[in-house]
Amino acid sequence: MRRKGYAPIRDYAAIGDGRTTALVAADGSIDWLCLPDVDSGSVFGRLLDLERGGSFQLEPDEQYETERRYQEGSNVLETTFRTAGGVVRVTDAMALADDSLSPLRELVRRVEGLGGEVPMRWSVEPRFDFGRTETRIGLRGGRPFAWGRRDAFALAAWDCGEPKLSGHAISGRFVARPGTRGLLDLAATHQEPCVLPCRSDAELRFERTERFWPKWSSAMTYSGPWYHAVLRSALLLKLCVFSPSGAIVAAPTTSLPESIGGRRNWDYRFTWLRDASFALDALLRLGYHDEAESFFSWFMHASRLTQPRLHILYRVNGSMEAAERELDSFSGYRESRPVRIGNGAGEQVQLDVYGDVLDSVWRYVSSGGRLDASTAKDVAKIADHVCKVWREKDSSIWEVRSGPAHFVHSKAMCWVALDRACRLAEQDAIPDHRERWEGEAAAVREFIEREGFDSERGSYVRATTLRELDASLLTLALFEYHEPGDPRLAGTIDAVRRELADGPLVYRYRGEDGVEGEEGAFLTCSFWLVEALARTGRLDSARSLMDDLVGLANDVGLYAEETDEGGTFLGNFPQALVHLALANAAVSFAEAVERRQ
Amino acid sequence: MTLWGALAGGVVGTVVLTTSLRVAQELGLTRMDIPLLLGTAFTANRRRASVIGYAVHFLNGLLFALAYGGIFAAVGHAGWIFGAALGLVHAAFAGGALVNIVLPAVHPRMGTRWTDAEETPLLEPPGFMLRNYGRHTTVATILAHIAYGAIVGGFASHFALY
Repeated sequence: MRRKGYAPIRDYAAIGDGRTTALVAADGSIDWLCLPDVDSGSVFGRLLDLERGGSFQLEPDEQYETERRYQEGSNVLETTFRTAGGVVRVTDAMALADDSLSPLRELVRRVEGLGGEVPMRWSVEPRFDFGRTETRIGLRGGRPFAWGRRDAFALAAWDCGEPKLSGHAISGRFVARPGTRGLLDLAATHQEPCVLPCRSDAELRFERTERFWPKWSSAMTYSGPWYHAVLRSALLLKLCVFSPSGAIVAAPTTSLPESIGGRRNWDYRFTWLRDASFALDALLRLGYHDEAESFFSWFMHASRLTQPRLHILYRVNGSMEAAERELDSFSGYRESRPVRIGNGAGEQVQLDVYGDVLDSVWRYVSSGGRLDASTAKDVAKIADHVCKVWREKDSSIWEVRSGPAHFVHSKAMCWVALDRACRLAEQDAIPDHRERWEGEAAAVREFIEREGFDSERGSYVRATTLRELDASLLTLALFEYHEPGDPRLAGTIDAVRRELADGPLVYRYRGEDGVEGEEGAFLTCSFWLVEALARTGRLDSARSLMDDLVGLANDVGLYAEETDEGGTFLGNFPQALVHLALANAAVSFAEAVERRQ
Repeated sequence: MTLWGALAGGVVGTVVLTTSLRVAQELGLTRMDIPLLLGTAFTANRRRASVIGYAVHFLNGLLFALAYGGIFAAVGHAGWIFGAALGLVHAAFAGGALVNIVLPAVHPRMGTRWTDAEETPLLEPPGFMLRNYGRHTTVATILAHIAYGAIVGGFASHFALY
């Protein structure tokens, strides 16, 4: 149910084509779509502004109930509407191109009458570039057309009623009866002539798209517990892959709030190098080697400009231009201002990124990937750089804005970077500077054990000057900082459960981070806890927690970044890192069970 | 003015263009790597790709020098200023169409703006005026091509004197 016009974040499902992603609400309204790419301006942005955002609504013109599902192993969405008079099914997809003259981007909505008679209405209200440029509507070539400064789309409505044009919308009404099959086709362009597809070509592309996703899904090699949740995570991850470059966005949305009405609203339509390790791990463990290699190739190339120093985040096209601005034209999801585009975290020092990237390289090489001489030298230089910078303060994995500190997780990830460099050198994959790396790794570890451990609590702490808990410390188990049976590791996991967990939910930390307002529980941390428990042999606890967490997904198996105790999704949606953590937790659990047997 | 002069200028100009872009890369101004981009069209092996890429780029440099020579002959004038102006046009053509659109369209390992979920490219597309490879790439590319054009024009006019 919408609240003051806004659908709950939980009510959305995602469809996409590897370039951009649309969010479809349970009532059939597409409230989010950026064109032509995931990090472009929105044409449908009702998610962030009810009046000025724009949307593509399609629903029965009478009271109804809905149920939804993705087609089996697919990112094609089916919404079934039941009214007193009949049943109608809407199937939504971002169509993939074929050899015919295909639009630059194509959104297709198929409407099939399944029983009785259902009066349907639809309305397309485009607002190009976050509503910042004037959107005009008219007829071109006899077809409804909308255009802004650089963008345009043609709308075809086959067996969906006669389109009516007004100054701000294209709309229509029709009756769906058994056997009827209507098609709404939005063919978009950007700075080039718009393709006007014919119905048969559009139908063929739609059917081809329906066939593609199950075929892609069938390549997944995982068949263990929580199979369907893992498969949905893989499919979501594939939606977050920006196919032209291989980059992976953290989420396809911006500024969905971490608390309703709050200021913690960030743009996630970028690639964080931090996610590299988790993404590569998940892709390789699930059998998606092509995507893993593409992402590896992309981030090694994208980061070349600053190497050996690593930037925190990159745009999907590889550039680092991510200046943070507030978007005055949008009022924000349920008045959660500001709406931000760009992300200021890109300017921070976050030392943990070195561990994530070196671990990725290690995983890539371990899975049979080969480094050329130039890349191998670059990797060694990054490890050398870690030797120089690990003593510095940073803003941590959580990108705090309260000022730099000696965060324990960041130091541990510097140790991971040096450890992985040593492993790579041992395999002759990179130039051998082990004498230096081993010495510095020992120094990092000595610093962490001396300054970052609280003996009374029996746990590592957030930072040398911040003695509270931090859920990112769970990753010490994931990155093999300690042997699984180490008491300090077990003590940290116990302390996180004691102090940061509330049922299956885990909060990142309780202390200050320099941004006003509250936030929900961070779902990634919950899945990290599952994996930490599995890796340390506590399989019953891991299984029970994972069962609870899988039950927290929405009706189509997707998660936002955060949730509150009442199950309300918060933050950007759907979030790749949560799904990466879910997939890795499931695979680690399955491996732990296998080891025990 | 002879085509041989333009060709000699093409040899020197291509060396200068390639070297200056390489220097810009080493200085952290750009991720642009022409030999890699061209060579990976033929092989995924990075080492072999660089060698092939240098050869292809060198050949391109000579072909463009011949085109410059043809323009000089048609206009009846050659000189380093005219050559530099042609270099500017050459840079705009290379960044706006040749490397931005044509190369990704024919390159088997490079993404394009049309690449969708069915493909997993290994090289990101350069973007308009190659901006995806760093914001200084456009300036570095234009300056390198102006230098190339000036050298080709200068050599062509120099050979006219003897």
